[in-house]
Amino acid sequence: MPSAADDLLVVDDVSYSYLGRFQALDKVSLTVRRGEKVALLGANGCGKSTLLKVVDGLVFPDSGTYRAFGSEVTEDNLEDEQFNQGFRGRVGFIFQNSDAQVFSPSVREELAFGPLNMGLPRDEIEARVADTLTMLDIDDLAERAPYQLSGGEKKRVAIASVLVMNPEVLLFDEPTAALDPRTQQWLMELIVELNQAGKTIVLATHDLDTLGVLADRCLVFSEEHRIVGEGAPAELLAERQLLLDVNLIHEHSHLHGATVHNHVHGLDHHVEATAAG
Amino acid sequence: MTTNATAPIWLLEGQVGLCPCGCIGRRKRGSFVEKTISGASGFLQQAMFSDDVAAERGLLQRIEPRAKLLGLLGLLVAAALVRHIPVLLALYAGTLLVAAASRLSLSFFVKRVWLFIPVFTGIVVLPATFSFITHGHIVVPFGTWFGHRVGMTSQGLTAAGLIVTRVAVSISLVVLLTLTTPWNRLLAALRALALPRMFVLVLAMAYRYVFHLLSAVSEMYTARQARTVGADTDATSGRRFVAASAGALFGKSHALSEEVHMAMLARGYTGNVRTIAPARMAARDGLWALACVAAALATLGVDRALGR
Repeated sequence: MPSAADDLLVVDDVSYSYLGRFQALDKVSLTVRRGEKVALLGANGCGKSTLLKVVDGLVFPDSGTYRAFGSEVTEDNLEDEQFNQGFRGRVGFIFQNSDAQVFSPSVREELAFGPLNMGLPRDEIEARVADTLTMLDIDDLAERAPYQLSGGEKKRVAIASVLVMNPEVLLFDEPTAALDPRTQQWLMELIVELNQAGKTIVLATHDLDTLGVLADRCLVFSEEHRIVGEGAPAELLAERQLLLDVNLIHEHSHLHGATVHNHVHGLDHHVEATAAG
Repeated sequence: MTTNATAPIWLLEGQVGLCPCGCIGRRKRGSFVEKTISGASGFLQQAMFSDDVAAERGLLQRIEPRAKLLGLLGLLVAAALVRHIPVLLALYAGTLLVAAASRLSLSFFVKRVWLFIPVFTGIVVLPATFSFITHGHIVVPFGTWFGHRVGMTSQGLTAAGLIVTRVAVSISLVVLLTLTTPWNRLLAALRALALPRMFVLVLAMAYRYVFHLLSAVSEMYTARQARTVGADTDATSGRRFVAASAGALFGKSHALSEEVHMAMLARGYTGNVRTIAPARMAARDGLWALACVAAALATLGVDRALGR
Protein backbone atom coordinates (compact mmCIF):
# COMPACT_ATOMS: atom_id res chain seq x y z
CA MET A 1 0.00 0.00 0.00
CA PRO A 2 1.69 3.28 -1.03
CA SER A 3 2.06 5.88 1.72
CA ALA A 4 1.37 9.61 1.45
CA ALA A 5 5.13 10.17 1.49
CA ASP A 6 5.28 8.43 -1.89
CA ASP A 7 2.92 10.99 -3.41
CA LEU A 8 5.35 13.13 -5.39
CA LEU A 9 2.94 15.23 -7.41
CA VAL A 10 -0.60 16.01 -6.28
CA VAL A 11 -2.92 17.94 -8.59
CA ASP A 12 -6.18 18.70 -6.80
CA ASP A 13 -9.37 19.85 -8.52
CA VAL A 14 -7.53 21.98 -11.03
CA SER A 15 -9.28 24.00 -13.74
CA TYR A 16 -7.54 26.02 -16.41
CA SER A 17 -8.65 27.92 -19.48
CA TYR A 18 -6.59 29.67 -22.14
CA LEU A 19 -7.24 33.42 -22.35
CA GLY A 20 -9.99 32.88 -19.81
CA ARG A 21 -12.24 31.54 -22.58
CA PHE A 22 -11.00 28.23 -23.94
CA GLN A 23 -11.38 25.57 -21.28
CA ALA A 24 -8.47 23.12 -21.18
CA LEU A 25 -8.89 21.46 -17.76
CA ASP A 26 -12.10 21.08 -15.79
CA LYS A 27 -11.71 20.05 -12.13
CA VAL A 28 -8.91 17.59 -12.80
CA SER A 29 -7.17 15.68 -10.00
CA LEU A 30 -4.10 13.50 -10.32
CA THR A 31 -1.65 11.94 -7.89
CA VAL A 32 1.69 10.64 -9.12
CA ARG A 33 3.54 8.27 -6.80
CA ARG A 34 7.25 7.67 -6.61
CA GLY A 35 8.57 5.26 -9.23
CA GLU A 36 5.38 4.70 -11.21
CA LYS A 37 4.64 5.15 -14.89
CA VAL A 38 1.47 7.12 -15.43
CA ALA A 39 -0.12 7.70 -18.83
CA LEU A 40 -2.58 10.50 -19.53
CA LEU A 41 -4.83 9.32 -22.34
CA GLY A 42 -7.14 11.40 -24.44
CA ALA A 43 -8.01 12.66 -27.89
CA ASN A 44 -6.39 15.74 -29.44
CA GLY A 45 -7.19 18.93 -27.55
CA CYS A 46 -8.58 17.19 -24.45
CA GLY A 47 -6.14 18.90 -22.05
CA LYS A 48 -3.45 16.31 -21.39
CA SER A 49 -0.60 18.56 -22.59
CA THR A 50 -1.97 21.42 -20.50
CA LEU A 51 -1.99 19.15 -17.45
CA LEU A 52 1.67 18.30 -18.09
CA LYS A 53 2.42 22.03 -18.25
CA VAL A 54 0.64 22.52 -14.92
CA VAL A 55 2.66 19.65 -13.45
CA ASP A 56 5.86 21.28 -14.73
CA GLY A 57 4.92 24.67 -13.30
CA LEU A 58 4.71 26.31 -16.71
CA VAL A 59 1.06 27.31 -16.50
CA PHE A 60 -0.81 27.93 -13.28
CA PRO A 61 -4.35 26.79 -12.50
CA ASP A 62 -7.30 29.19 -12.46
CA SER A 63 -8.66 27.19 -9.52
CA GLY A 64 -7.50 24.18 -7.50
CA THR A 65 -4.01 23.46 -6.17
CA TYR A 66 -0.86 21.68 -7.26
CA ARG A 67 1.72 20.36 -4.80
CA ALA A 68 5.06 18.81 -5.75
CA PHE A 69 7.34 17.06 -3.26
CA GLY A 70 5.18 18.40 -0.43
CA SER A 71 5.26 22.08 -1.42
CA GLU A 72 2.66 24.04 -3.30
CA VAL A 73 3.81 25.10 -6.77
CA THR A 74 2.66 28.63 -7.57
CA GLU A 75 3.97 31.39 -9.80
CA ASP A 76 5.03 33.24 -6.69
CA ASN A 77 6.92 30.26 -5.22
CA LEU A 78 8.74 29.66 -8.48
CA GLU A 79 10.13 33.17 -8.33
CA ASP A 80 12.08 32.06 -5.26
CA GLU A 81 15.50 31.09 -6.63
CA GLN A 82 16.06 28.17 -4.26
CA PHE A 83 12.57 26.72 -4.78
CA ASN A 84 12.88 27.21 -8.55
CA GLN A 85 16.22 25.39 -8.73
CA GLY A 86 14.96 22.58 -6.50
CA PHE A 87 11.74 22.08 -8.45
CA ARG A 88 13.22 22.47 -11.95
CA GLY A 89 16.02 20.10 -11.06
CA ARG A 90 13.58 17.42 -9.93
CA VAL A 91 11.02 17.61 -12.73
CA GLY A 92 12.06 17.34 -16.38
CA PHE A 93 9.77 17.95 -19.35
CA ILE A 94 10.32 16.54 -22.83
CA PHE A 95 8.17 18.60 -25.19
CA GLN A 96 6.37 17.12 -28.16
CA ASN A 97 7.97 19.68 -30.47
CA SER A 98 11.71 19.08 -30.24
CA ASP A 99 12.34 22.19 -32.33
CA ALA A 100 11.10 24.32 -29.45
CA GLN A 101 13.25 22.46 -26.97
CA VAL A 102 16.51 22.44 -28.91
CA PHE A 103 17.22 26.17 -29.06
CA SER A 104 20.97 26.50 -28.42
CA PRO A 105 23.56 27.02 -31.17
CA SER A 106 25.11 23.57 -30.63
CA VAL A 107 24.14 20.24 -29.09
CA ARG A 108 26.84 20.55 -26.41
CA GLU A 109 25.52 23.95 -25.33
CA GLU A 110 21.99 22.59 -25.39
CA LEU A 111 22.92 19.89 -22.89
CA ALA A 112 24.82 22.36 -20.71
CA PHE A 113 21.88 24.80 -20.53
CA GLY A 114 19.98 23.05 -17.71
CA PRO A 115 22.97 22.20 -15.49
CA LEU A 116 24.29 25.77 -15.88
CA ASN A 117 20.96 27.13 -14.65
CA MET A 118 21.09 24.69 -11.74
CA GLY A 119 24.38 26.31 -10.77
CA LEU A 120 26.47 23.13 -10.95
CA PRO A 121 30.29 23.46 -10.97
CA ARG A 122 31.81 23.71 -14.47
CA ASP A 123 33.77 20.45 -14.16
CA GLU A 124 30.67 18.53 -13.18
CA ILE A 125 28.70 20.06 -16.05
CA GLU A 126 31.35 19.00 -18.55
CA ALA A 127 31.44 15.48 -17.12
CA ARG A 128 27.64 15.17 -17.12
CA VAL A 129 27.34 16.45 -20.67
CA ALA A 130 30.00 13.98 -21.87
CA ASP A 131 28.32 11.06 -20.03
CA THR A 132 24.85 11.91 -21.36
CA LEU A 133 26.14 12.28 -24.92
CA THR A 134 27.68 8.80 -24.65
CA MET A 135 24.64 7.28 -22.94
CA LEU A 136 22.31 8.41 -25.74
CA ASP A 137 24.91 7.61 -28.41
CA ILE A 138 25.05 11.16 -29.75
CA ASP A 139 28.76 11.94 -29.16
CA ASP A 140 29.23 12.66 -32.83
CA LEU A 141 26.48 15.30 -32.77
CA ALA A 142 28.07 17.35 -29.95
CA GLU A 143 29.24 20.27 -32.10
CA ARG A 144 26.36 20.15 -34.59
CA ALA A 145 23.80 22.93 -34.94
CA PRO A 146 20.10 22.06 -34.44
CA TYR A 147 19.22 22.70 -38.10
CA GLN A 148 21.65 19.96 -39.09
CA LEU A 149 19.79 17.31 -37.07
CA SER A 150 17.07 14.92 -38.24
CA GLY A 151 13.78 14.59 -36.35
CA GLY A 152 14.97 11.49 -34.47
CA GLU A 153 18.29 13.11 -33.57
CA LYS A 154 16.51 16.22 -32.29
CA LYS A 155 14.35 14.01 -30.07
CA ARG A 156 17.48 12.36 -28.65
CA VAL A 157 19.06 15.75 -28.00
CA ALA A 158 15.87 17.01 -26.35
CA ILE A 159 15.79 13.97 -24.05
CA ALA A 160 19.52 14.29 -23.33
CA SER A 161 19.08 17.98 -22.46
CA VAL A 162 16.62 16.95 -19.73
CA LEU A 163 18.34 13.76 -18.54
CA VAL A 164 21.59 15.64 -17.96
CA MET A 165 19.80 17.45 -15.10
CA ASN A 166 19.05 14.07 -13.50
CA PRO A 167 15.41 14.79 -12.62
CA GLU A 168 13.35 12.46 -10.43
CA VAL A 169 10.22 12.89 -12.51
CA LEU A 170 10.18 12.87 -16.30
CA LEU A 171 7.22 14.27 -18.19
CA PHE A 172 6.85 13.22 -21.83
CA ASP A 173 4.37 14.91 -24.15
CA GLU A 174 3.39 12.49 -26.95
CA PRO A 175 6.78 10.77 -26.81
CA THR A 176 6.31 8.43 -29.75
CA ALA A 177 4.52 10.85 -32.09
CA ALA A 178 6.11 11.44 -35.52
CA LEU A 179 9.07 9.15 -34.91
CA ASP A 180 10.24 6.39 -37.21
CA PRO A 181 9.73 2.82 -35.88
CA ARG A 182 13.37 2.36 -34.82
CA THR A 183 13.49 5.64 -32.87
CA GLN A 184 10.08 4.84 -31.39
CA GLN A 185 11.30 1.46 -30.15
CA TRP A 186 14.51 3.01 -28.80
CA LEU A 187 12.55 5.63 -26.90
CA MET A 188 10.14 3.08 -25.42
CA GLU A 189 13.05 0.97 -24.19
CA LEU A 190 14.72 4.09 -22.77
CA ILE A 191 11.58 5.11 -20.86
CA VAL A 192 11.30 1.61 -19.35
CA GLU A 193 14.99 1.59 -18.44
CA LEU A 194 14.74 5.02 -16.80
CA ASN A 195 11.74 3.85 -14.82
CA GLN A 196 13.61 0.74 -13.70
CA ALA A 197 16.44 3.04 -12.59
CA GLY A 198 13.96 4.75 -10.25
CA LYS A 199 12.64 7.63 -12.34
CA THR A 200 8.95 8.46 -12.15
CA ILE A 201 7.37 8.79 -15.58
CA VAL A 202 4.29 10.77 -16.59
CA LEU A 203 3.39 10.77 -20.26
CA ALA A 204 0.60 12.14 -22.40
CA THR A 205 -0.40 10.02 -25.36
CA HIS A 206 -3.22 8.77 -27.50
CA ASP A 207 -1.19 5.83 -28.76
CA LEU A 208 -2.89 2.83 -27.17
CA ASP A 209 -0.48 0.30 -28.72
CA THR A 210 2.41 1.32 -26.48
CA LEU A 211 0.45 1.52 -23.23
CA GLY A 212 1.23 -1.98 -22.02
CA VAL A 213 4.94 -1.14 -22.04
CA LEU A 214 4.90 2.53 -21.10
CA ALA A 215 2.36 2.69 -18.27
CA ASP A 216 1.46 1.03 -14.98
CA ARG A 217 -1.57 3.26 -14.55
CA CYS A 218 -3.63 5.31 -16.98
CA LEU A 219 -5.96 8.27 -16.61
CA VAL A 220 -8.47 8.90 -19.36
CA PHE A 221 -9.49 12.40 -20.39
CA SER A 222 -12.85 13.11 -21.96
CA GLU A 223 -13.21 15.62 -24.76
CA GLU A 224 -14.88 17.84 -22.13
CA HIS A 225 -11.46 18.16 -20.40
CA ARG A 226 -12.34 15.98 -17.38
CA ILE A 227 -10.79 12.76 -16.13
CA VAL A 228 -13.38 10.05 -16.67
CA GLY A 229 -11.46 6.84 -16.09
CA GLU A 230 -8.46 5.42 -14.27
CA GLY A 231 -6.86 2.01 -14.09
CA ALA A 232 -4.17 -0.38 -15.30
CA PRO A 233 -3.70 -0.45 -19.10
CA ALA A 234 -5.31 -3.90 -19.48
CA GLU A 235 -8.37 -2.87 -17.44
CA LEU A 236 -8.88 0.33 -19.42
CA LEU A 237 -8.37 -1.27 -22.79
CA ALA A 238 -11.16 -3.68 -21.89
CA GLU A 239 -13.59 -0.77 -21.45
CA ARG A 240 -14.51 -0.39 -25.10
CA GLN A 241 -17.45 1.92 -24.54
CA LEU A 242 -15.36 4.35 -22.46
CA LEU A 243 -12.64 4.46 -25.12
CA LEU A 244 -15.27 5.06 -27.80
CA ASP A 245 -16.88 7.87 -25.79
CA VAL A 246 -13.60 9.73 -25.29
CA ASN A 247 -12.60 9.32 -28.96
CA LEU A 248 -9.58 7.09 -28.28
CA ILE A 249 -10.83 4.36 -30.55
CA HIS A 250 -13.20 4.30 -33.48
CA GLU A 251 -16.03 1.85 -33.80
CA HIS A 252 -14.04 0.15 -36.54
CA SER A 253 -11.14 -0.40 -34.11
CA HIS A 254 -10.67 -3.84 -32.65
CA LEU A 255 -8.74 -4.62 -29.52
CA HIS A 256 -6.56 -7.71 -29.53
CA GLY A 257 -5.21 -7.93 -25.99
CA ALA A 258 -3.21 -4.73 -25.56
CA THR A 259 -3.10 -4.03 -29.27
CA VAL A 260 -5.55 -1.79 -31.06
CA HIS A 261 -6.24 -2.81 -34.60
CA ASN A 262 -8.08 -0.59 -37.09
CA HIS A 263 -9.99 -1.77 -40.11
CA VAL A 264 -10.51 0.89 -42.69
CA HIS A 265 -14.06 0.66 -43.94
CA GLY A 266 -13.63 2.24 -47.34
CA LEU A 267 -15.77 4.61 -49.28
CA ASP A 268 -17.20 1.94 -51.55
CA HIS A 269 -20.40 1.15 -49.68
CA HIS A 270 -21.13 4.86 -49.24
CA VAL A 271 -20.39 5.41 -52.88
CA GLU A 272 -22.78 2.71 -53.87
CA ALA A 273 -25.42 4.32 -51.67
CA THR A 274 -24.84 7.73 -53.24
CA ALA A 275 -24.86 6.36 -56.74
CA ALA A 276 -28.05 4.43 -56.03
CA GLY A 277 -29.62 7.51 -54.43
CA MET B 1 -19.49 7.63 -34.21
CA THR B 2 -20.42 6.69 -37.74
CA THR B 3 -18.99 8.64 -40.61
CA ASN B 4 -21.60 10.21 -42.83
CA ALA B 5 -19.06 11.27 -45.39
CA THR B 6 -19.93 10.26 -48.91
CA ALA B 7 -17.76 10.83 -51.91
CA PRO B 8 -19.36 12.97 -54.61
CA ILE B 9 -19.44 11.44 -58.08
CA TRP B 10 -16.95 13.95 -59.56
CA LEU B 11 -14.34 12.82 -57.06
CA LEU B 12 -14.53 9.29 -58.39
CA GLU B 13 -14.09 10.30 -62.01
CA GLY B 14 -10.64 10.90 -63.49
CA GLN B 15 -9.49 14.47 -64.11
CA VAL B 16 -8.43 15.46 -67.60
CA GLY B 17 -4.67 15.23 -67.41
CA LEU B 18 -1.75 15.69 -69.72
CA CYS B 19 -2.65 15.91 -73.38
CA PRO B 20 -1.27 12.88 -75.25
CA CYS B 21 0.52 15.24 -77.64
CA GLY B 22 2.98 16.17 -74.84
CA CYS B 23 4.51 19.55 -73.84
CA ILE B 24 3.12 22.06 -76.31
CA GLY B 25 1.84 24.67 -73.86
CA ARG B 26 3.25 28.18 -73.44
CA ARG B 27 6.19 28.55 -71.08
CA LYS B 28 6.67 31.40 -68.63
CA ARG B 29 9.37 32.30 -66.19
CA GLY B 30 8.63 32.02 -62.45
CA SER B 31 7.34 34.93 -60.38
CA PHE B 32 9.23 37.17 -57.94
CA VAL B 33 7.94 34.95 -55.11
CA GLU B 34 9.65 31.92 -56.61
CA LYS B 35 12.91 33.84 -57.01
CA THR B 36 12.78 35.06 -53.42
CA ILE B 37 12.03 31.62 -52.04
CA SER B 38 14.76 29.98 -54.08
CA GLY B 39 17.10 32.72 -52.84
CA ALA B 40 16.14 31.83 -49.27
CA SER B 41 16.78 28.14 -49.79
CA GLY B 42 20.07 29.09 -51.46
CA PHE B 43 20.98 30.91 -48.26
CA LEU B 44 20.20 27.76 -46.26
CA GLN B 45 22.41 25.67 -48.51
CA GLN B 46 25.18 28.23 -48.28
CA ALA B 47 25.01 28.18 -44.48
CA MET B 48 25.34 24.38 -44.55
CA PHE B 49 28.25 24.72 -46.98
CA SER B 50 29.89 27.27 -44.67
CA ASP B 51 29.72 24.79 -41.82
CA ASP B 52 31.41 22.18 -44.00
CA VAL B 53 34.18 24.61 -44.89
CA ALA B 54 34.56 25.53 -41.23
CA ALA B 55 35.10 21.85 -40.44
CA GLU B 56 38.07 21.57 -42.85
CA ARG B 57 41.55 21.37 -41.36
CA GLY B 58 43.11 24.48 -42.89
CA LEU B 59 45.22 27.23 -41.35
CA LEU B 60 42.44 29.42 -39.95
CA GLN B 61 40.27 26.50 -38.90
CA ARG B 62 42.98 25.47 -36.42
CA ILE B 63 43.05 28.86 -34.72
CA GLU B 64 40.86 29.49 -31.69
CA PRO B 65 37.93 31.79 -32.67
CA ARG B 66 38.81 34.41 -30.02
CA ALA B 67 42.35 34.72 -31.40
CA LYS B 68 40.91 34.92 -34.92
CA LEU B 69 38.45 37.59 -33.87
CA LEU B 70 41.13 39.67 -32.13
CA GLY B 71 43.50 39.39 -35.08
CA LEU B 72 40.71 40.32 -37.47
CA LEU B 73 39.77 43.38 -35.43
CA GLY B 74 43.39 44.57 -35.52
CA LEU B 75 43.61 44.15 -39.29
CA LEU B 76 40.22 45.81 -39.81
CA VAL B 77 41.37 48.89 -37.91
CA ALA B 78 44.56 48.96 -39.98
CA ALA B 79 42.57 48.66 -43.24
CA ALA B 80 40.35 51.53 -42.13
CA LEU B 81 43.36 53.81 -41.50
CA VAL B 82 45.44 53.00 -44.58
CA ARG B 83 45.55 55.82 -47.19
CA HIS B 84 47.35 54.16 -50.11
CA ILE B 85 45.75 51.80 -52.60
CA PRO B 86 48.94 49.69 -53.13
CA VAL B 87 49.12 49.01 -49.38
CA LEU B 88 45.48 47.93 -49.37
CA LEU B 89 46.11 45.72 -52.41
CA ALA B 90 49.00 44.10 -50.56
CA LEU B 91 46.65 43.45 -47.62
CA TYR B 92 44.10 41.97 -50.05
CA ALA B 93 46.77 39.69 -51.49
CA GLY B 94 47.49 38.60 -47.91
CA THR B 95 43.83 37.64 -47.40
CA LEU B 96 43.96 35.58 -50.61
CA LEU B 97 47.04 33.74 -49.34
CA VAL B 98 45.38 33.01 -45.99
CA ALA B 99 42.21 31.86 -47.79
CA ALA B 100 44.28 29.43 -49.87
CA ALA B 101 46.09 28.19 -46.75
CA SER B 102 42.68 27.64 -45.12
CA ARG B 103 41.60 25.45 -48.07
CA LEU B 104 38.88 27.83 -49.20
CA SER B 105 37.95 27.78 -52.86
CA LEU B 106 39.62 30.96 -54.16
CA SER B 107 37.03 31.50 -56.90
CA PHE B 108 34.20 31.25 -54.32
CA PHE B 109 36.07 33.55 -51.94
CA VAL B 110 36.76 36.19 -54.58
CA LYS B 111 33.21 36.02 -55.97
CA ARG B 112 31.69 36.31 -52.52
CA VAL B 113 33.56 39.57 -51.96
CA TRP B 114 33.43 41.17 -55.40
CA LEU B 115 29.85 40.33 -56.36
CA PHE B 116 28.45 42.82 -53.85
CA ILE B 117 31.06 45.57 -53.92
CA PRO B 118 30.09 47.03 -57.34
CA VAL B 119 26.42 46.97 -56.32
CA PHE B 120 26.73 48.61 -52.91
CA THR B 121 30.02 50.51 -52.67
CA GLY B 122 30.36 51.23 -56.39
CA ILE B 123 27.06 53.09 -56.61
CA VAL B 124 27.83 55.07 -53.48
CA VAL B 125 31.27 56.23 -54.59
CA LEU B 126 30.49 56.77 -58.27
CA PRO B 127 29.41 60.45 -57.88
CA ALA B 128 32.65 61.23 -56.06
CA THR B 129 34.60 60.50 -59.23
CA PHE B 130 32.95 63.36 -61.17
CA SER B 131 34.59 66.76 -61.51
CA PHE B 132 31.62 68.63 -60.04
CA ILE B 133 32.01 66.70 -56.75
CA THR B 134 35.77 66.17 -56.59
CA HIS B 135 37.67 68.91 -58.39
CA GLY B 136 40.97 68.13 -60.06
CA HIS B 137 42.62 66.88 -63.19
CA ILE B 138 40.03 65.42 -65.59
CA VAL B 139 41.21 62.10 -67.01
CA VAL B 140 37.92 60.82 -68.49
CA PRO B 141 36.25 63.86 -70.15
CA PHE B 142 32.47 63.84 -70.82
CA GLY B 143 32.31 67.23 -72.62
CA THR B 144 31.42 70.75 -71.49
CA TRP B 145 28.55 72.02 -69.38
CA PHE B 146 27.90 75.80 -69.09
CA GLY B 147 31.38 76.38 -70.44
CA HIS B 148 33.10 74.05 -67.93
CA ARG B 149 34.77 70.77 -68.80
CA VAL B 150 33.16 67.86 -66.97
CA GLY B 151 34.35 64.28 -66.50
CA MET B 152 36.00 61.96 -64.06
CA THR B 153 38.95 63.39 -62.17
CA SER B 154 42.07 61.50 -61.19
CA GLN B 155 41.57 62.68 -57.58
CA GLY B 156 37.99 61.39 -57.61
CA LEU B 157 39.00 58.06 -59.11
CA THR B 158 41.76 57.65 -56.54
CA ALA B 159 39.38 58.40 -53.69
CA ALA B 160 36.80 55.95 -55.09
CA GLY B 161 39.47 53.29 -55.65
CA LEU B 162 40.67 53.74 -52.09
CA ILE B 163 37.17 53.23 -50.68
CA VAL B 164 36.44 50.23 -52.93
CA THR B 165 39.70 48.45 -52.06
CA ARG B 166 39.24 49.27 -48.38
CA VAL B 167 35.74 47.75 -48.44
CA ALA B 168 37.07 44.73 -50.38
CA VAL B 169 39.80 44.11 -47.81
CA SER B 170 37.40 44.55 -44.88
CA ILE B 171 34.80 42.20 -46.37
CA SER B 172 37.50 39.66 -47.23
CA LEU B 173 38.69 39.67 -43.63
CA VAL B 174 35.16 39.18 -42.29
CA VAL B 175 34.40 36.46 -44.85
CA LEU B 176 37.63 34.70 -43.84
CA LEU B 177 36.48 34.67 -40.24
CA THR B 178 32.89 33.59 -40.90
CA LEU B 179 33.79 30.90 -43.43
CA THR B 180 36.39 29.25 -41.22
CA THR B 181 34.53 29.42 -37.91
CA PRO B 182 31.41 27.43 -37.02
CA TRP B 183 28.63 29.82 -36.03
CA ASN B 184 28.32 28.52 -32.48
CA ARG B 185 32.05 28.99 -31.83
CA LEU B 186 31.92 32.46 -33.30
CA LEU B 187 29.16 33.31 -30.83
CA ALA B 188 31.24 31.92 -27.97
CA ALA B 189 34.12 34.12 -29.13
CA LEU B 190 31.86 37.19 -29.15
CA ARG B 191 30.83 36.38 -25.58
CA ALA B 192 34.44 36.02 -24.52
CA LEU B 193 35.13 39.50 -25.91
CA ALA B 194 32.71 41.04 -23.43
CA LEU B 195 29.70 41.36 -25.72
CA PRO B 196 26.61 41.23 -23.44
CA ARG B 197 25.44 37.62 -23.03
CA MET B 198 21.80 38.50 -23.54
CA PHE B 199 22.70 40.10 -26.86
CA VAL B 200 24.57 36.97 -27.95
CA LEU B 201 21.69 34.74 -26.79
CA VAL B 202 19.19 36.72 -28.83
CA LEU B 203 21.52 36.62 -31.84
CA ALA B 204 21.99 32.86 -31.48
CA MET B 205 18.27 32.20 -31.20
CA ALA B 206 17.43 34.47 -34.11
CA TYR B 207 19.92 32.60 -36.29
CA ARG B 208 18.71 29.20 -35.08
CA TYR B 209 15.04 29.93 -35.76
CA VAL B 210 15.62 31.75 -39.04
CA PHE B 211 16.36 28.29 -40.46
CA HIS B 212 13.22 26.85 -38.95
CA LEU B 213 11.02 29.64 -40.25
CA LEU B 214 12.71 29.69 -43.65
CA SER B 215 11.93 26.02 -44.12
CA ALA B 216 8.33 26.77 -43.08
CA VAL B 217 8.14 29.44 -45.81
CA SER B 218 9.63 27.04 -48.36
CA GLU B 219 7.07 24.40 -47.40
CA MET B 220 4.21 26.87 -47.71
CA TYR B 221 5.43 27.91 -51.13
CA THR B 222 5.93 24.31 -52.27
CA ALA B 223 2.40 23.49 -51.13
CA ARG B 224 1.09 26.46 -53.12
CA GLN B 225 3.14 25.52 -56.15
CA ALA B 226 1.88 21.94 -56.03
CA ARG B 227 -1.67 23.27 -56.41
CA THR B 228 -0.90 25.94 -59.00
CA VAL B 229 -1.98 25.00 -62.48
CA GLY B 230 -0.17 26.80 -65.27
CA ALA B 231 2.67 29.31 -65.00
CA ASP B 232 2.87 31.19 -61.72
CA THR B 233 3.75 34.67 -62.91
CA ASP B 234 0.88 36.76 -61.58
CA ALA B 235 2.44 39.47 -59.40
CA THR B 236 -0.87 40.31 -57.67
CA SER B 237 -1.46 36.75 -56.49
CA GLY B 238 2.23 36.60 -55.60
CA ARG B 239 1.88 39.66 -53.37
CA ARG B 240 -1.25 38.17 -51.83
CA PHE B 241 0.67 34.99 -51.07
CA VAL B 242 3.54 36.95 -49.52
CA ALA B 243 1.12 38.90 -47.30
CA ALA B 244 -0.75 35.75 -46.26
CA SER B 245 2.40 33.79 -45.52
CA ALA B 246 3.91 36.73 -43.61
CA GLY B 247 0.80 36.69 -41.41
CA ALA B 248 0.89 32.92 -40.98
CA LEU B 249 4.58 33.07 -40.21
CA PHE B 250 4.08 35.78 -37.62
CA GLY B 251 1.51 33.60 -35.84
CA LYS B 252 3.79 30.60 -36.12
CA SER B 253 6.83 32.41 -34.76
CA HIS B 254 4.79 33.85 -31.90
CA ALA B 255 3.55 30.39 -30.87
CA LEU B 256 7.06 28.99 -31.25
CA SER B 257 8.62 31.75 -29.16
CA GLU B 258 6.17 31.00 -26.35
CA GLU B 259 7.00 27.31 -26.52
CA VAL B 260 10.75 27.98 -26.58
CA HIS B 261 10.40 30.23 -23.55
CA MET B 262 8.52 27.48 -21.71
CA ALA B 263 11.23 24.98 -22.66
CA MET B 264 13.82 27.38 -21.24
CA LEU B 265 11.85 27.92 -18.02
CA ALA B 266 11.43 24.15 -17.65
CA ARG B 267 15.20 23.83 -17.48
CA GLY B 268 15.65 26.45 -14.82
CA TYR B 269 16.05 29.66 -16.87
CA THR B 270 15.23 32.68 -14.73
CA GLY B 271 16.50 35.49 -16.92
CA ASN B 272 20.23 35.10 -16.29
CA VAL B 273 22.16 33.86 -19.29
CA ARG B 274 24.81 31.32 -18.30
CA THR B 275 27.18 29.74 -20.78
CA ILE B 276 29.87 27.08 -20.83
CA ALA B 277 33.43 28.31 -20.58
CA PRO B 278 35.24 28.52 -23.92
CA ALA B 279 38.24 26.27 -24.55
CA ARG B 280 41.66 27.46 -23.44
CA MET B 281 43.81 29.26 -25.97
CA ALA B 282 46.89 27.39 -27.19
CA ALA B 283 50.29 28.93 -27.90
CA ARG B 284 49.60 28.96 -31.64
CA ASP B 285 46.44 31.00 -31.04
CA GLY B 286 48.42 33.63 -29.17
CA LEU B 287 51.02 33.59 -31.94
CA TRP B 288 48.33 34.11 -34.56
CA ALA B 289 46.85 37.08 -32.71
CA LEU B 290 50.33 38.58 -32.28
CA ALA B 291 51.14 38.01 -35.96
CA CYS B 292 47.94 39.77 -36.97
CA VAL B 293 48.64 42.73 -34.70
CA ALA B 294 52.23 42.89 -36.04
CA ALA B 295 50.91 42.76 -39.63
CA ALA B 296 48.45 45.55 -38.83
CA LEU B 297 51.21 47.72 -37.33
CA ALA B 298 53.57 46.98 -40.24
CA THR B 299 50.82 47.93 -42.72
CA LEU B 300 50.25 51.21 -40.96
CA GLY B 301 54.04 51.83 -40.77
CA VAL B 302 54.48 51.28 -44.53
CA ASP B 303 51.45 53.46 -45.22
CA ARG B 304 52.86 56.32 -43.16
CA ALA B 305 56.28 55.87 -44.76
CA LEU B 306 54.68 56.37 -48.20
CA GLY B 307 53.49 59.79 -47.01
CA ARG B 308 50.16 61.47 -47.73
